[in-house]
Amino acid sequence: MRKLLSLALLLVALCLPATSQAAAPKRVVALTPFSANTLAKLGVTPVAIGQTLGGAERFSPKLKKATVLPLSHPNGPNLEQLASLDPDLVFSSQTWAKGNEAMEELGMDVVVQDPRSIAGAYADTFEIGTIMGRKHYARDLLQQMRKQVEAAEAGIKKRPKVMLILGVGRTPFTFLPNSWGGDIVTKAGGKLLTGGVSSGSGFERISDEVVVAENPDIIIAVPHANEDDIPSLTEYLRSNPAWSSTSASRNGRIHISVDNSLLQAGTDIARTIRKVRSAYLKN
Amino acid sequence: MGHDEGQSRGRGPLRRGHGPMGVASGPPEGSPATAQLLDARDVKVEIAGVPILKGADLSVKAGELVAIVGPNGAGKSTLVRAVSGMQKPSAGSVFWSGRPLGEMRGRELARRRAFVPQRMPVPNGVSVREAVTIGRSSHLKPLRRLTGEDREGVEHAMERARVTRFADRDLTTLSGGELQRVQIAVGLAQEAPVLIADEPTSQLDLGATIGVAGLLRDLARTGLAVLLVVHDLALAAAVADTVVVVSEGRTVATGAATQVLTSKRLSEVWKAEAHLTEHEGRTALHVAWLQGNDVRSP
Amino acid sequence: MARRALVFAALVAALLVGVVCSLAFGAVKVPISEVIDIIFGQGGSATDVQIVETLRLPRTVEAMLVGAALGVAGAILQGALGNPLASPDVIGVTGGAGFGAILIIIVLPGSIALLPLTALAFGLLAAATVFAFAWSGRNRGSVGKVVLAGIAVLSLFTAGTTGLLAAFPERAPSAIFFIAGGLTSSGWRDLETVWPYFAVGFLVALFLIRPLDRLALGDDVAASLGSRPQVIRLGAGIAAALLAAASAAIAGLLGFLGLVVPHVVRMAGGTSSHAYVVPASAIGGAALLAGADTLARTLRAPIEMPVGPFMVILGVPLFLWLLRKAV
Repeated sequence: MRKLLSLALLLVALCLPATSQAAAPKRVVALTPFSANTLAKLGVTPVAIGQTLGGAERFSPKLKKATVLPLSHPNGPNLEQLASLDPDLVFSSQTWAKGNEAMEELGMDVVVQDPRSIAGAYADTFEIGTIMGRKHYARDLLQQMRKQVEAAEAGIKKRPKVMLILGVGRTPFTFLPNSWGGDIVTKAGGKLLTGGVSSGSGFERISDEVVVAENPDIIIAVPHANEDDIPSLTEYLRSNPAWSSTSASRNGRIHISVDNSLLQAGTDIARTIRKVRSAYLKN
Repeated sequence: MGHDEGQSRGRGPLRRGHGPMGVASGPPEGSPATAQLLDARDVKVEIAGVPILKGADLSVKAGELVAIVGPNGAGKSTLVRAVSGMQKPSAGSVFWSGRPLGEMRGRELARRRAFVPQRMPVPNGVSVREAVTIGRSSHLKPLRRLTGEDREGVEHAMERARVTRFADRDLTTLSGGELQRVQIAVGLAQEAPVLIADEPTSQLDLGATIGVAGLLRDLARTGLAVLLVVHDLALAAAVADTVVVVSEGRTVATGAATQVLTSKRLSEVWKAEAHLTEHEGRTALHVAWLQGNDVRSP
Repeated sequence: MARRALVFAALVAALLVGVVCSLAFGAVKVPISEVIDIIFGQGGSATDVQIVETLRLPRTVEAMLVGAALGVAGAILQGALGNPLASPDVIGVTGGAGFGAILIIIVLPGSIALLPLTALAFGLLAAATVFAFAWSGRNRGSVGKVVLAGIAVLSLFTAGTTGLLAAFPERAPSAIFFIAGGLTSSGWRDLETVWPYFAVGFLVALFLIRPLDRLALGDDVAASLGSRPQVIRLGAGIAAALLAAASAAIAGLLGFLGLVVPHVVRMAGGTSSHAYVVPASAIGGAALLAGADTLARTLRAPIEMPVGPFMVILGVPLFLWLLRKAV
């Protein structure tokens, strides 16, 4: 009797992975760099990845051979092109809301993820792993990531006041703690300048008067620009008369970050935190 | 009466050294006082390649009222606009008191002639006095303020045109006849020796027409030279010293009304069977309205 | 005459109130006594001095200048084109300026320092294109041609702007604030670049006051008085283009003001005489923008909101009230 029971249990145990593997989608399209890179780290090669026109996303080298779908408003990918790839599942973003609706009507499953914090990124990574039937891999990956991030956050000596702004234009938006960049900088030891404001979107345009009053030690700007624009943009911000009295301006601690690492959730979180600490916060 | 105001202000035509309008001026350009204020000969005008005026003459002296008549499309308006400098002539000579038209800039021309269009647009929120003051602006240097003399000039123009009693009313509240007199006041404010009126009575009723006609005649009596484009031949005969007939782009006759507006000419130019009579200052045009279509003949 | 003077005095009073509020209020509370001290050079705390001198003072001056410029531009265009719906948008300036700004923000972000000049240049280019087409061929400079050319050029530049936004979608948010229109607290930097254009625009407008009155009585009367109607229209177009382009260069695309303020001052004063309407539109526009900007940056402080809706909130009720009385 005991032998029969253990055999039955063994059979069930053997069947379980098979069932979950049968449910795992075969053809996956990843429209965000976060989902694409996470899939790559989990050992999955998506059928196609999305890249915005003129965008500067960073992709894992494992994705070099993947088909690239150009993304543009408002649908994201060209729906016909997408349909021709016959995907079972699409990882998408809220940005392509209209396209997501259309994709669902075409019979694809759509998972929308826009992590705006590191904790959120962990949760979404796990969700991807679960959906792809790679829970174990996901768990291991997360363990690794958590360790790396902890190491990156270790030994913070100083906690300077940081103003993180989006766009260089004449009316920049401030990153609040509930934005991706805001969370990264906070974890890197910076005290975000927010003027006491909170907002659902994670960004607000706050008055320069508050900036002057709160006197940040460091100003980091995240414009939509290229590497070669950095010197002129830095000069422009440094010469902004509105901030000339701030500690950041007087000490020349105004920085520009042109890659997307502070704008969009990525999978190399630890590296981003380290970069922020060494290049900008110097803590 | 119009000319009395002029005399009481000491600006009458007899005052030495002043022109008929009270504008201080020396003797006209080296010629006797009876010289032509306007002398236009063989004026031709082409618009978009189409010849409208094919050779017309026009002249006027101080105190003379010249009526310009002719059928629609003959070129009457084009003629007065051409001599006024508002339409460029393609050929011909135009002299204002001896000065060639082509050599004169806007302001200089504004001192020699005032053009009163048939119907000016009636802007909102402009009073009669304000409109006449605008007419005065040709005397003002670009940013210079109005002087007392300018204000007097405006009042004087309004008096002469008999519009003083509604000087503070908005233009939009005036009747057709009142508006036409205000337009004349605007022209008078320029203090030019020649006033050109393009069909001022065409859209007015009988009473208003009589008012305007009387005004123009009185102004001529004070020494103003008046060029009047008019449709109504009986009116032209009544008020004009000289009648100029324009037909198909040419001036075909110039002279006294009775001599020019003969039955023969009326038939040739207007294709009308009609004749003009005058009796004790009243004129009448007798017209065979139903010529050739006499339904009452048995 | 008395009514006109009264309304003018009221407008000046409104401007003074607007200026005082703009200097005294902001996201950070600075006591009025200290504001006064700082203005008169008697100093205060370093932060407050920076706030008042470098942030609020230039911004207040910009608000007055842009408000006045747009008011005057609207007034002279309405006079020159004889059309109550005329405004700086009609001559294509706002479309061109918008395109120029978006070009920098989205395509050449490294050249952000050139934004005011580029917006200005494209604004003037758009206006020049409109004039070139309106003054060609038959009916040169007629109102109909100007309006139609303006619509065409505006559509052209708007299409260009939309195309750029669509091509670089994630850069679009930076552009939104310019399109919505609003002032910035960037010290005297922007004004230093564009003040000559304001100066020339205002000067030409000043010399156009009497000619525009003449034009109001019709092209014929204007010609009789020695003016050239088409030259007046062209001059008005140039002045309006300069004022509107310079305004867009520093304050983005602000509509409404140039269209509505001249009507408000006309209805309130009961006259269309340009010697009153042009200066009154300047004062009224300055007061409106100074007031609206103050509201935009204090109502939800420290968040700064776009100024457009506040101009409408302040201006439309007054406009409708006067409209009821007038018509």
